[in-house]
Amino acid sequence: MTKVQEKHQGFEIKGCGKGKATWRLYTQLCKGCGLCLIKCPINKKGKNCLHWSKEVGIYSTPAVEPDPALCIACGTCERLCPDSAIRIDRD
Amino acid sequence: MPSMLTIPPRLPKAQNPDPGASKFCPGCGHGMILKTLASAIDELNLQDRAIYGCDIGCSLLSWNYMNIDTIQAHHGRTTPVIYGITRATPDAVGIAYMGDGGGLAIGAQHLVNAAVRNEKMLVVLVNNTNYGMTGGQMAPTTLPGQVTETTPYGRDVEVTGKPAKGAEMVSAVVDTEAAYVTRGTVNNLRQLKTMMKRGLQNIADGRGFSYVEALSVCPLNWRTNNVDTWDRLDEMEGFFKVGELVVPQGLEGVK
Repeated sequence: MTKVQEKHQGFEIKGCGKGKATWRLYTQLCKGCGLCLIKCPINKKGKNCLHWSKEVGIYSTPAVEPDPALCIACGTCERLCPDSAIRIDRD
Repeated sequence: MPSMLTIPPRLPKAQNPDPGASKFCPGCGHGMILKTLASAIDELNLQDRAIYGCDIGCSLLSWNYMNIDTIQAHHGRTTPVIYGITRATPDAVGIAYMGDGGGLAIGAQHLVNAAVRNEKMLVVLVNNTNYGMTGGQMAPTTLPGQVTETTPYGRDVEVTGKPAKGAEMVSAVVDTEAAYVTRGTVNNLRQLKTMMKRGLQNIADGRGFSYVEALSVCPLNWRTNNVDTWDRLDEMEGFFKVGELVVPQGLEGVK
């Protein structure tokens, strides 16, 4: 059985972590709980790195996106996300 | 507009990628704990030996979450079903996954007796201080003063007693040289993964009973937003102390 290459709805933000990482979000998995916004270490310092996006998730609630200028690609949101909707890859 | 990505989401090998989004509510702690359990199984390479049992309640919704052999048992009876399997097939790594209602209310007798007999199984007990699936009624672990569906004025400790502490109860009856008893939290998933790996290694080595309690969140039934959810979890950590209670010799190296 050959498997066709799957495509996944989502968006990617390049240039995170000082231009060295790509941040991806799968809109068919993000449920918009917002737990990652509180745990983001940059947001804890009072800056606005991870914020609500104009894109919507699977329940038509806002998804999230990082500010590539502030994101350090630490992976906290990826590890935390209950639905594995976030993926960070170092280029 | 969302575009199409060719790179798939990063899931542990022990997690089933086919169902797509899980059936849990937005922000449910089950997703975090199951993901951590799946990556712990991956890192110890136990996917072929593991048998996963889920309980009634919200934990039942994980029936197709794992990419390993799964069985679904009656309410509170996951513990005897799994130790029956591990007695019949001694090579199997049995994992019983349950909520605080299944493990500390209706299934407490099985949990205590499995711990006393040192059954070679891992119990993962998810503590979210209420019965989530039926709408957030009071559970044995509900915090004093917490408002739930059945305690609209807050839990009264004069009438209903103090919350049940599962990890302390189990650590009081286990064989301290063979069993592993701990309490983790979704606030610290790295620590929780180490605990899961130690628990799995303890039964993979054939040493004895492992119990991992995970403090979890339930934003829908707590009626909390994302800020208040984490604040409530901090309050829970003040009552249920996080840390390892019983560690047998030979597990210190597992990280």
